Amino acid sequence: MTEVPLLQVDDLHVTFDTEDGLVRAVDGVSFTVERGKTLGIVGESGSGKSVTSLTIMGLTRGPATQISGSAVLEGTDLVSASNEHLREVRSNDVAMVFQDPLSSLHPFYQVGSQLVEAIQTHQHVSRAQAFDRAGELLELVGIPDARRRLLSYPHEFSGGMRQRAMIAMALANDPKVLIADEPTTALDVTVQAQILELIARLQAELGMGVVIITHDLGVVAETADEIAVMYAGRIVEEARTDTLFDAPEHPYTWGLLESIPKLTGPREEELIPIPGRPPSLINRPSGCSFHPRCPYVREAHKRVDPQLEPVPGDAGHRTACLLVPEVRRELWSKLKAGAEPEKARAEVPLRDEEDLERRDADGLSQDAGLDAPRR
Amino acid sequence: MGRYIVRRLLWVVVLVFAVVTLTFVIFSVLPSADPARLRAGRSPNQQLVKDIRHRFKLDKPIYVQYGKYIGDLVTNLDFGHSYQNDTDVLDEILKRLPATISLAIGGAIVWLIMGISVGIVSAIYRRSVLDRVAMGLSLVAISAPVFWLGLVALYVFADDIGKIPILPGAGSYVPLTDDPVEWFTSLILPWCVLAAAFAAIYARLLRGNLIETMSEDYIRTARAKGLSERKVILKHGLRSAITPVVSALGLDLGLLLAGNAILTETVFNIPGIGRLSYNAIINSDLPTIEGVVLFGALFIVVLNLIVDIAYAFIDPRVRYT
Amino acid sequence: MRRSALRIPMAVCAGGLAALVIAACGGGGGGGGGQAKTAAPEGAQKGGTLTVLSNADVDYIDCGAAYYQFSYQVEYAMCRPLYSYKPETRGLPDPDVASGPAQVSDDGKTVTVKMKSGIKFGPPVNREVTSKDVKYAIERGFNKSVANGYASAYFGDVQGAEDAAKKADGSPIDGLVTPDDHTIVFKLTKPTGTAVAEALGLPLSTPVPPEYAKPLDAKTPSEYGNHLVATGPYMIPNDKSGKLTGYEPMKNITLVRNPNWDAKTDYRPAYLDKIVVKEGVDPDVGSRQIVDGQNLVNGDFTPPPAILKQVATTKKDQLLLIPSGGGRFMSFNFKVKPFDDINVRKAVIAGMDRNALRLTRGGPVIGPIMQHQIPPEIPGFEEAGGNNPPPEADWLKNPAGDKTVMAKYFKAAGMSSGKYEGSDKILVVGDDSGVGGRAAEVAASQLEDMGFKLNFRQVPHSTMYTKFCNVPKAQVSFCPNTGWFKDFFDAQTLLDPTFNGSNILQENNSNWPQMDDPTVNKLLDQGKVTVDRAKRAQMFAEADKRITDLAPNVPWVWDKQPNIASKNVAAVGSSFNATIDLNFTSIKK
Repeated sequence: MTEVPLLQVDDLHVTFDTEDGLVRAVDGVSFTVERGKTLGIVGESGSGKSVTSLTIMGLTRGPATQISGSAVLEGTDLVSASNEHLREVRSNDVAMVFQDPLSSLHPFYQVGSQLVEAIQTHQHVSRAQAFDRAGELLELVGIPDARRRLLSYPHEFSGGMRQRAMIAMALANDPKVLIADEPTTALDVTVQAQILELIARLQAELGMGVVIITHDLGVVAETADEIAVMYAGRIVEEARTDTLFDAPEHPYTWGLLESIPKLTGPREEELIPIPGRPPSLINRPSGCSFHPRCPYVREAHKRVDPQLEPVPGDAGHRTACLLVPEVRRELWSKLKAGAEPEKARAEVPLRDEEDLERRDADGLSQDAGLDAPRR
Repeated sequence: MGRYIVRRLLWVVVLVFAVVTLTFVIFSVLPSADPARLRAGRSPNQQLVKDIRHRFKLDKPIYVQYGKYIGDLVTNLDFGHSYQNDTDVLDEILKRLPATISLAIGGAIVWLIMGISVGIVSAIYRRSVLDRVAMGLSLVAISAPVFWLGLVALYVFADDIGKIPILPGAGSYVPLTDDPVEWFTSLILPWCVLAAAFAAIYARLLRGNLIETMSEDYIRTARAKGLSERKVILKHGLRSAITPVVSALGLDLGLLLAGNAILTETVFNIPGIGRLSYNAIINSDLPTIEGVVLFGALFIVVLNLIVDIAYAFIDPRVRYT
Repeated sequence: MRRSALRIPMAVCAGGLAALVIAACGGGGGGGGGQAKTAAPEGAQKGGTLTVLSNADVDYIDCGAAYYQFSYQVEYAMCRPLYSYKPETRGLPDPDVASGPAQVSDDGKTVTVKMKSGIKFGPPVNREVTSKDVKYAIERGFNKSVANGYASAYFGDVQGAEDAAKKADGSPIDGLVTPDDHTIVFKLTKPTGTAVAEALGLPLSTPVPPEYAKPLDAKTPSEYGNHLVATGPYMIPNDKSGKLTGYEPMKNITLVRNPNWDAKTDYRPAYLDKIVVKEGVDPDVGSRQIVDGQNLVNGDFTPPPAILKQVATTKKDQLLLIPSGGGRFMSFNFKVKPFDDINVRKAVIAGMDRNALRLTRGGPVIGPIMQHQIPPEIPGFEEAGGNNPPPEADWLKNPAGDKTVMAKYFKAAGMSSGKYEGSDKILVVGDDSGVGGRAAEVAASQLEDMGFKLNFRQVPHSTMYTKFCNVPKAQVSFCPNTGWFKDFFDAQTLLDPTFNGSNILQENNSNWPQMDDPTVNKLLDQGKVTVDRAKRAQMFAEADKRITDLAPNVPWVWDKQPNIASKNVAAVGSSFNATIDLNFTSIKK
């Protein structure tokens, strides 16, 4: 870290009080966003990735919400800031692009008006000036015939153009941080690539810090500098992009990578999904929250909760797993070679971190319990 | 849009014609008072009844009567004469329309203001004490019979029979052109009474719709832009949530102008279309009934058209060809 | 009988307020118990404006066409017939345009009336009234453009009247003779002079200027009503051509002083300067306005029971109960089973709790139980038994009903159980709302208790009459909401249209039982042509007895009409009309 980060999120907890119980949507998340760099946050639905970013903007505040931790943007903590302050920050310092641009743009107002609104909320300019700026923004995001398009309604745009317009709206006030929540999920594959390219280009031109939230590793493979993998409200692994794809050190990440269809593999090769479903955020599994779905689970994992810790040899690479690093690396090499998880498991003797006995209050024998999760 | 409007207007003609015909059929089929016998009085005189019947052309077959009615209507805009008192039906309706229009439109303004504001406040503070009280009161307002509410209003506020005599009582209506001040004050109680149930319904309608709307994605976007909560609700939320209110308004106003305000008109003795139609029905005064029905159908259909057009202005996704 | 004064207020149709009262027929006159003030207070004050609150409109503003009790209330302030009724009059009407009582010849075929001089028409006619104006007034009653409802009934015996009725164009009737400007003679084909003389107390005899009215009467319907010329103390404001400016149908009527009225020629004091009739008033609201307000009286509606109760207990001086001169009864139809059997009819009358029926209108305060056909204050009432039924009519003895007598008559009809045993449904048609509806319902449930199976239909009042009960073809077995009220103080007006076999009509029939009994017919026909009033009373009383013995109806009340006035109004009631007399009422000092 050579610079002071734009945004520093520290131990963020977000809990919702619902009829069914306390939902721990975000359970201790920390990360930083730096100028000119892109952070990818990856996870399944329910992992807490969206809630994290909404909370930074203060959009999850409510009578049933408990938020703790901090999110410091240029010296001010947004978590404890007043609503007024947050409103100034929104779209001004931190801007967000949402998943479905058709439902995220108001269907009754012209695109130009919505852009103008974003501009005039934070800048003292006349409507004519705002309109000009809106036209510029549309050009910036690559929409042809921008001036005329200002008068169109959202439903008159194609999917890709809509998302471009949303991005334009987010950029209206030169924000320092741009958060894109599933920006390509609602779009065709070809358009996806265009949008991602656009974001990358804009970042290069404007120097913002960008956060891309997605469930699809493929989306962030090209564009992110760093990736944080979230599971059950926590970050379970974070690393530089190339490191993550080369040498991931968490069974969940392995599962994600293995489940991506590859162009290069044999046609008949089966995809290997991660078994089971995302856990309930009200009654989280005991111990390691991934243990019910992990092919390499051991007894102690059911009781001890792993912390995010650096991987030996690379301080920027952290993972939350109780297995010993060597074991993990061996397992990964097996998987990479094409072995299935069961095979890999059988071949590699599992060992936990040395002080696991200490951490496991009940005390257990090692190597016991070869209870592989059922497929 | 222009072609669409023209097509709709043509439909108006068809619909009105159908309604007039249906009324004719209903009138001749269902047992109602015989107007000739009503006019003849109670003294034994067969000839008299025959004469009256002949004068009203009731002795001709029904299709002849119908044909004559439609003929007069279309060629001269002649709505005929009342069986009761021989007044010209069109004159009588036009004389009474201003009163009903005053009542309906004034009432609509009151219930829109009340209903929308209560609806918004309830939606924002939903499930709070304020919201529950407001929704509870609205239930009372909807359930209370208009007539009862009117009587209560008079017994409390009328300057002749009320406990707190501050407003003109029943029977004090004067046309706007005669005395604007008196016209206005005499309509305050009727407006409130008429508006009560509607305001409640609209408040509930808007509340529900607004709550739903506020969970839409574009509301989140609006907030993410840093807009004040007030702007988010009023500019973004309300515009979407208001559409059912617009349709309801069209229908309700149409019905009121067609005579649905009769209970309010009766309690407060406002000489409007409602009372006219009631008297006509009781006395089997077919020409007046047809006249009222025709106007009523016209109002309802035209207002529906206006509402549909308004829709197209509110929601640009709606396009008529 | 005059048509019902009272319209069904909307609230009743809304169903919510069953407390609203409707009288099936208006009425007036009758026996003791009322607090009817029939004379103006001492030193009554002249001036002021009275407002009459009414629910509906007059039937015709033309005095020569009107047949509505409420119409008479309004029109007697501006129309002066040959004879009319002072508030305290209970028999023959008093001379009004006439200068003295009508002279009926011994043979009953000629009636001579002398008229006052100095009576003038109001603007724009402005000239003195002559006998020719009275002649024309009656002739136009037969014109189909005017269509007076009782012209044939009471003046049909004038020579030439029958032809006039057939031609129906208002052509002259030669039986109406005007030897000079202040005398009119009625030449009759039958000796019905006594009735004709009394019928001159009806508004048809109000003078009408032919030169002014003929062109108006030529249109069908006549436009004279909209150009009415006054003879009374009051008039409706009009323009130079005579077109009324003060009458808005169904909204209001204004009456101002008639500048051509000469108080010296009239017994009316006419205290008020102005009278405003406000229409469209709801009875509940209006009654409260009257009781709590100033300068108000009721017009065509009856105050609801709740308000009546309040006024009767705490504000007695604001209430006028005026005997209506008629009765309410429930009619059987002789031509439809099972009521063709007199025993069944007697059984039903015996079994009915008539007190319960009367309770639906307010109970004993509203009037005595009806026991035969001639009501109190009508000549013949006492002779027919007064407040008692005929002694041999054991089925009428107990107003609360007597199950033993009922059983006796059912058994006599062949039903051994003492209850009705027939299985066919009988058609009963009654009012659907208000007090009338309730009376119908009480009657229906009592019939069911007796064992009848009913097809009980409730319809609006006007429908009940014009489509069902007054139409023999509808074959209704039992009509609970019938009744009849006097036209003037003579039993003929009560018995003839309702029980004379020659008055069974196919439409507008008021002889609901369709009674055609030779003895009854003979007595009635004889009575009609009897000149001596005492003898008439005797004959009609005999007819009454005979009719009652035939058990044609369930008689349940001779009612009084309640009227209310504001505290500052010195209201005087009309004995003729049972309403508040606008010519005698004044505003208190």
